Amino acid sequence: MDDLYRQIIIDRYKNPINRGKVIGGKNAVKANLSCGDKLEISAKIKNEIIEEVKFEGGGCAVSMAAVDMLCDKLKGMKIGEVMKMSGEEIEEMIGMDLTYSRKKCAYLGLETVKKMIESE
Amino acid sequence: MKDYKKYFPIFEKEKGLVYLDSAATSLKPKVVLDKLMEYYTEYSANIHRGLYPMSERASEEYEKVRGKVASFIGAKSPEEIVFTSGTTAAINLVARAWAENNLKEGDEILVSEMEHHSNFVVWQQLAKRKKLSLRILSLEDFWQEKFGLDKLVNKRTKLMAVAQISNVLGKINPIEKMVAEAKKINPEIRVLVDGAQSVGHVEVDVQKMGCDFFAFSGHKMYGPTGVGALYVCEDRMKEMEPADFGGGMIGEVGIVDSSWAEGVEKFEAGTPPIAQVIGMGAAVDFLMGIGMKNVEEHESKLLEYLLEKLGELEDVLVVNEERHNRIGVVAMVSRVVPSHDLGYELGEKGICVRSGLHCAQPLHNKIGEKYGTTRISLGVYNSIEDINKLVEGIKKIQKDYK
Ligand SMILES: Cc1ncc(COP(=O)(O)O)c(C=O)c1O
Repeated sequence: MDDLYRQIIIDRYKNPINRGKVIGGKNAVKANLSCGDKLEISAKIKNEIIEEVKFEGGGCAVSMAAVDMLCDKLKGMKIGEVMKMSGEEIEEMIGMDLTYSRKKCAYLGLETVKKMIESE
Repeated sequence: MKDYKKYFPIFEKEKGLVYLDSAATSLKPKVVLDKLMEYYTEYSANIHRGLYPMSERASEEYEKVRGKVASFIGAKSPEEIVFTSGTTAAINLVARAWAENNLKEGDEILVSEMEHHSNFVVWQQLAKRKKLSLRILSLEDFWQEKFGLDKLVNKRTKLMAVAQISNVLGKINPIEKMVAEAKKINPEIRVLVDGAQSVGHVEVDVQKMGCDFFAFSGHKMYGPTGVGALYVCEDRMKEMEPADFGGGMIGEVGIVDSSWAEGVEKFEAGTPPIAQVIGMGAAVDFLMGIGMKNVEEHESKLLEYLLEKLGELEDVLVVNEERHNRIGVVAMVSRVVPSHDLGYELGEKGICVRSGLHCAQPLHNKIGEKYGTTRISLGVYNSIEDINKLVEGIKKIQKDYK
């Protein structure tokens, strides 16, 4: 792992920006049971646009930093665009190629967001 | 200390490799690889079928392993050994071939909270399907070695399924004592022991343990992947019905019904993992060659050193700090680096450990480590230097995350 990006991930893990809960919005919980990561995402969506989004939960640095960065990116995005986001975009966002198992960690945030959007 | 690395070709290619994940799967010694090559290049034929010399030789080599495995684990006869694809398949076979036909609604199965999912979910699902009740032996009972079996075992308890060694705690459970205690209350109770973590690390004697079934995997004892065995004591063997049907397991086949082969063959339907069974035989020879006493001694010295070094580290919590009655399987948690990242970062330094829940979610929930632990597990090829590298690695990574 590139040392600079590695440091960014560690810092972001230790000092998250989007931790918390959006009250009165939609939410969803998803877990990656092989490693114990568990996430809850909550958001306020108006006119198909994500206005506010936060996450709660625990797990490894990669999954936590990735979801935190993802929350930044999601604000203002149309849910249709979010549903089209791919894993590669997550890798681009965090600035590194991921190995087989680490992809599961990094993608957990996006998967949870999609689950939330699809929920009633 | 003796250097066993030289028997394992992987260290020639992967210079400096520090492999500390033997509880997941062990590395393979040259003798095992050579044996696989021998089968594929000298008598690569199916068994129990052809009458030509190559097939006869394959059959002989395959059947020879049954005897080797039987004596290695202290069975009475080769006829008590069924080859399977591993521990998981062996436990599932007990459920389908024995429990399916011998347990009925209202019967009870006793399992422990520390089980690997393969000795837990199998029974949970069978219980659900057949309306059996699943009773749980708690982790606390294992720590204290007071099992309170008088409250858990009764006349309806048909099976106790428990690991000889936990794949997270490394603790060697007092099976002999547990069996005796349980049988005092219900002499008819049957016992399945999950030996995945014990074979290849401690001497195993199924008769002394007093179990009815004993399951293990070849790939965790220096053998190939895709193979394992199930020991079934003679009396239980008579109570088992075939669970898989097809070639190799039949006696006579008619349009309306069929009869089964005599003996263990009726549980080995289809072409078995021939090369892997033969390779597993070479792994048994390898271990017997070193001597299980020497294996145990080598690994316990390393374990002692490992526990001492981990104990000196700041922000590191060792799940089971016991020094006795255990093997070199050590789960730990860093209070600064999440276990998954620790495993990954050590990997980047060429140090292989395992992070996560290790297929033992009930256990991790119980010990309050729901994000998992990092597990360090030893094999004969490990050295003091491996442990030094590990400890230095953990120190460095913890510093970066602080
Ligand atoms: C205690 C225990 N039981 C069962 C298993 C399952 O073994 P296998 O995956 O070889 O079937 C393992 C290995 O992961 C184990 O450690």
